Amino acid sequence: MTSLLIDSYVAGLHRRLPPGIAEETAGGLIETYEHHLAAGAGEGEAAHAALAEFGDLATVVGEFTRQAPGRRAARLLLATGPIAGSAWAAALILGRSWTWLAPAAARLGFGAVLLLAVLALLAAATSRHSYQRTRLAAAASPVILALDATAVATALAAAPALTVALRIAVAVSLGRIAFTTWTLPRLAVR
Amino acid sequence: MRVEAQVLKGHLDTLLLASLEDGPRHGYAVKQALRAGGGAKFDLPTGTIYPALRRLEASGLVKGTWTEAGGRRRRTYELTAAGRRRLAADRTAWREFATTVTAILEPAR
Repeated sequence: MTSLLIDSYVAGLHRRLPPGIAEETAGGLIETYEHHLAAGAGEGEAAHAALAEFGDLATVVGEFTRQAPGRRAARLLLATGPIAGSAWAAALILGRSWTWLAPAAARLGFGAVLLLAVLALLAAATSRHSYQRTRLAAAASPVILALDATAVATALAAAPALTVALRIAVAVSLGRIAFTTWTLPRLAVR
Repeated sequence: MRVEAQVLKGHLDTLLLASLEDGPRHGYAVKQALRAGGGAKFDLPTGTIYPALRRLEASGLVKGTWTEAGGRRRRTYELTAAGRRRLAADRTAWREFATTVTAILEPAR
């Protein structure tokens, strides 16, 4: 037995959160409501008391969003961006990459995909109220992984010499590939 | 005096770990344990306990599993070894902090 107020809150949880999280949280709210009913409150009174005790929907969804694994992973991946970018820029400039790197169209494509992935990570990392937005990290992370792998493979195959700068850039990308591979299964929140 | 929500929030992880010290509990039972311990002074939206439990689980301090009782599915949490170590460390740190602050606020006359 629930009230319209509780039903509407539960529907909101299911609309805005992954199924497992929504089910667990809704169960807690319904138990709170039933506790007030058992204590003798009427339906409406019990619903109001349960909601007051539980906190409003935006607060609860906001807490889940701020602690979402996608948001944390996106922040960590974005933090590695300047390090990886600087390492690759130094390696490509010092290695006179314009004499051996892939055609301009392929480089432009690489840059465009990288930009889209970074924008998706930014959206996930800055989300404060939308859990759905943090899930963009799950889509962007494999793309970053593929870009790192492409950069490493291209450099190893095409670079005339494995300079120190290039070794550092490859090591940074390999580290990020390892981190992304470790993170990906943890982004599948149910 | 009710304890401010922000102050409680700063210690929520430790309070949650402590509530699981005696054995596994689901979210609602954790809330009841906190209320039983802190009474009316526990002034925190109880809906925020669930995200905190998930965060502790992601950090490896508690382990959550789905259980079913009376036709109702609940997620039950228990302390991991890392969670027990963290609770012991937090408890020691709190005692030292409380002793220091008490010594300053209530000097022996």
